[in-house]
Amino acid sequence: MDFRQKLESKYREILTNYLADRSEQALYQGQKLSRNAIERNIPPEEIVSIHRNIMAEMFPEKFNDKMQESFDILLEVMVAYGFAYREHQNLKHIQQELRTEMEIAANVQKTLLGTEVPCKKGMDIGAISVPAKHMNGDYFNFVEDENNSVSIAIADVIGKGLPAALCMSMIKYAMDSLPENRKTPTLVLENLNRVVEQNVDLTMFITMFYGTYHIDDHIFSYASAGHEPGLFYHAETQTFSELPAKGLLLGIEKNTKYRKYEKEVMPGDMIILMSDGVTESRTKEGFIEREELLALIEKNIHLKAQNIVQNVYKELEKLQDFQLRDDFTLIILRRNVLS
Amino acid sequence: MNINIDVNHNENITEVTVGGEIDVYTAPELKKELIPLSEKDNVEMIVDLSGVSYMDSTGLGVFVGLFKNVRAHDGQFKIIGLSSRLKRLFEITGLADIIDISTKMEGEKK
Amino acid sequence: MDNQSCVKIINEWDIVSARQLGRNVAKELGFGTVDQARITTAISELARNIFLYAGQGQICIEKLYENGKTGLRLLSIDSGPGIKDLRQVMEDGYSTSGGLGAGLPGVKRLMDDFQIDSSPGEGTDIRAIKWLR
Repeated sequence: MDFRQKLESKYREILTNYLADRSEQALYQGQKLSRNAIERNIPPEEIVSIHRNIMAEMFPEKFNDKMQESFDILLEVMVAYGFAYREHQNLKHIQQELRTEMEIAANVQKTLLGTEVPCKKGMDIGAISVPAKHMNGDYFNFVEDENNSVSIAIADVIGKGLPAALCMSMIKYAMDSLPENRKTPTLVLENLNRVVEQNVDLTMFITMFYGTYHIDDHIFSYASAGHEPGLFYHAETQTFSELPAKGLLLGIEKNTKYRKYEKEVMPGDMIILMSDGVTESRTKEGFIEREELLALIEKNIHLKAQNIVQNVYKELEKLQDFQLRDDFTLIILRRNVLS
Repeated sequence: MNINIDVNHNENITEVTVGGEIDVYTAPELKKELIPLSEKDNVEMIVDLSGVSYMDSTGLGVFVGLFKNVRAHDGQFKIIGLSSRLKRLFEITGLADIIDISTKMEGEKK
Repeated sequence: MDNQSCVKIINEWDIVSARQLGRNVAKELGFGTVDQARITTAISELARNIFLYAGQGQICIEKLYENGKTGLRLLSIDSGPGIKDLRQVMEDGYSTSGGLGAGLPGVKRLMDDFQIDSSPGEGTDIRAIKWLR
């Protein structure tokens, strides 16, 4: 109550000053008062009412009935503005709450899906994954097996944000529950396909690439469920080629079989895996062309794998004016020249 | 963020023409319009995507859903008018092997 | 009851009658012009809800004298489709979606006390009070 009284006397002071000298100073005071009133949640009709009361008091003669009554309309109009304003304030508050909740969820996801890029003798591995929004619909996971091999899974759930992230957690859980002897690329995909087929919405699907690098004989065996094709860099000829892989998306047909592919990796060769967020990068001129991507990798090829993926991401981010349309994941595995 | 969806019922065939961009913002509208059409028995659906300038995986998901629905209702589903970029999307995902994606319209009109 | 009067809401003009009734009672009880405007805005919102979504119903205004306090009670009673999810309707932002129950959080803020009862198929019953300060 006493803030309102203060407000009224302050308003009276400002109004009196202004009517006396019509100074900019008084107008500025008025602006400051409104900021103060907004902070204290004073609705606009309250201010109108204060104005009318003071005027009626100061000029009982001139501020006649007609003048007074005209304020009824203004009051009525301002009540509706206050009504809308307060709803807006509350929505802002709710939005803040949601944002906080999303940030917490994103952290939970990070912990849940976290994976460490393995350090293996003779290999150089780099990985980057950046969500377009809070939650990441891309996913990658490294597993080091006992028989001196490194397995890598990279997956992309259709869509972005929360639904994609929830789905990804399901995949991660299903993959972790597979017994050790069923972790060959084709068996992993066939198992996950059944999990996804039973559990997701009609229009939902997941793409996944699963590969195992056998360090003893340097064979990379892999299979793909409709995932964006990987690339292979031949160090000897300094050329790139696509890693051939065919396979249907996860979650379309219950009994999909996946084909196993193998590739021998020579010293200096690189396996480059990505999500479609990389190839679907859009600039003002259109999509980035495959050649541009290859040129970016080539430009950084003398660096460590982790620096290559980071630099490629930075350049693509810049090309897109820092607006990521899709989650972005890029992984490079290189066989060291000296091992 | 614009999309045009045109549906024509021609005898037993449902012809759908889509134009514009199909992405995470427009896909829900496409889904709302088309999914109910795919839930009829023996439905025969042809979708023309020659006017689509961009489609992301959310858009692809709508067509996966349509395909699954039509198949569950013993119908036929066909997509025509794919640009080379869209065709690549269907090939990478393995969908080209299970969904009929002719590149030309039947009786090719100019 | 002696101190209760009602207006049936069937068409848009009835909204004005309900407002008029509310204003007369508010004046009589000694509410200031700001509170009068708040009360009538609340009446407008509730009556509009009846007119647009419930089909028909009524707005009643009651004078309250409790523990030495004076107040105005506003009742909105309809036999429309009812509201399934009251919690959702009372959430801010729902009003922008339109439909039955739009603007109720605003009405709650304009008044001092607000109660709502509704069952699908049976209608909605809203009671709101403004105390004279």
